Amino acid sequence: MRIKNFWAAILLGVPVAFMAAFFIVPFLVVVVASFQDKEGAWSLSNYGRIFADTYYPSVLYTTFKLSLLSTAASFLIGYPIAYYIVNVVRSRMGRRICYILVIMPLFTSNIVRSFGWIILLGRQGLVNSTLVTLGLTDRPIPLLFTELSIVIGLTYILVPFMVLTVASVLQTIDKSLVEAALDLGTSRLGTFLRVTFPLSLPGVVAGSLIVFTLAVSAYVVPSIMSGGRTVVMAMSIFEQYGALFDFNFGAALAVGLLVVTLILIALYLFFIERQSATRKAVKS
Amino acid sequence: MTTFPERIGRFLLTAVVWAGFVFLTLPLIIIVAVSFTETEYLSFPPVGFTLRWYEQFLADTSYLESIGLSASIAVASTAIATLIGVPTALVIARSTLPGRKLVSTIFLSPLILPTIVVGAALLQYASALGFARSYLALLAGHVVIIVPYILRTVLASLERFDQSLEEAGQDLGANGVTTFFLVTLPIIKPGIVAGALFALIISWINVELSIFNSTASLMPLPVKLFNYVQYAVDPMMAAISAATIYVAIVAVVVLDIFVGIDRVAATQK
Repeated sequence: MRIKNFWAAILLGVPVAFMAAFFIVPFLVVVVASFQDKEGAWSLSNYGRIFADTYYPSVLYTTFKLSLLSTAASFLIGYPIAYYIVNVVRSRMGRRICYILVIMPLFTSNIVRSFGWIILLGRQGLVNSTLVTLGLTDRPIPLLFTELSIVIGLTYILVPFMVLTVASVLQTIDKSLVEAALDLGTSRLGTFLRVTFPLSLPGVVAGSLIVFTLAVSAYVVPSIMSGGRTVVMAMSIFEQYGALFDFNFGAALAVGLLVVTLILIALYLFFIERQSATRKAVKS
Repeated sequence: MTTFPERIGRFLLTAVVWAGFVFLTLPLIIIVAVSFTETEYLSFPPVGFTLRWYEQFLADTSYLESIGLSASIAVASTAIATLIGVPTALVIARSTLPGRKLVSTIFLSPLILPTIVVGAALLQYASALGFARSYLALLAGHVVIIVPYILRTVLASLERFDQSLEEAGQDLGANGVTTFFLVTLPIIKPGIVAGALFALIISWINVELSIFNSTASLMPLPVKLFNYVQYAVDPMMAAISAATIYVAIVAVVVLDIFVGIDRVAATQK
């Protein structure tokens, strides 16, 4: 069925008007405000202030460092789960149970999920008491309110996204390629490393991009898991908007975070692109 | 026939994966367990069994108000987002209108834009127009961030199904509207239901957007919990959190029964 352009335009009218009014225009307002001072005159002073001393650059550095670590951790935990669901579990029932275990955390709020880790990582928490019982340490080690606890909390939030994205690509891989490799005498591990994993790379790229952008913009988990000792960009942005009411500087921080994130994503994609181009060139 | 190293490999993979599943479920199980403790502080394993923490939070009308507000925003924003997402998906999948790719990109972009920036933008814009920290501001923001969930699942179901069914309907004399309601809609219904349920939950658990436009008397449940956990970590917090986990379990089971959780998972990426 083809919808004629006239009717298509009518169908799109209300949706586009709504998204323009409550998403596109507000977004432009932020960009414009970031280039204005408090009196409304055009100025770059807000951006100048970000780089005036080392405070915000170091916040930015912490944000990206924690995001990168939790993206790597989500990959290490999420990829095997996705592989297992798609290639190992045989029954549909088993697959459904696995998906329920992955999606259930996704359906609870970030606060509740962080709260679970507060209980687990506290001085009297399960993790510390297990470590003491096993004799790995003689007294509780400080786990909560450290950068480690932020990374654990973020990874916990992000793993389901990684699993779902990687699994959706693994599903589309032609099983006959794997069988061909096995028939030709390649070991299971070799087949995985040389056939399945390279073919699943688009899923890994997409998954890590989604997870990384979510980590960079995370507010709730770092606020709760840092105990106020570590500051990330989202916390600085909220501070400007919610506590100090400096919308112009807050806007510059928001735009700055967005631009740096987009640059990093572009670099990552460029790197991946060049690598696969090199690999193709080597093969031919 | 499997060789010895293969069996070792399979065993290692299974061990790693189940450790992953423990990682995913343990925090939730702990919260539920702790919520029944008889102690005044969080204790794991819980001491005794009591429902008093649940009674305490259900007796606090401010929590009931927050739950009511969250539920109302979730339902209303999902309804609006469905009315926005379905026609948009139809146009993108079934027309040659110039600019439809751009519309699709913009409507899907809240998925990767920091929610905190969307929230800040809406606060700043609503302040300028005089509707900051209102129900309207909360509702509009929630619609913006959940539209992509509906749009992409409906797009996926529109692209998957056999278009000759629609053509058959039209060959038999049905007009576009009739064809949509009698042929297209029944086929894409699972996609709409799955997307809408996902959207409903995303709204229900949102903090990052709501926090900008909340006030003491207009506070969705997740924002209230967020404020509470920063000064008190007690069994009542566990009871409220556990209650939201029960909601999540019901939602996942409903999704599985009506659409099949494995099919939903395949379109969420």
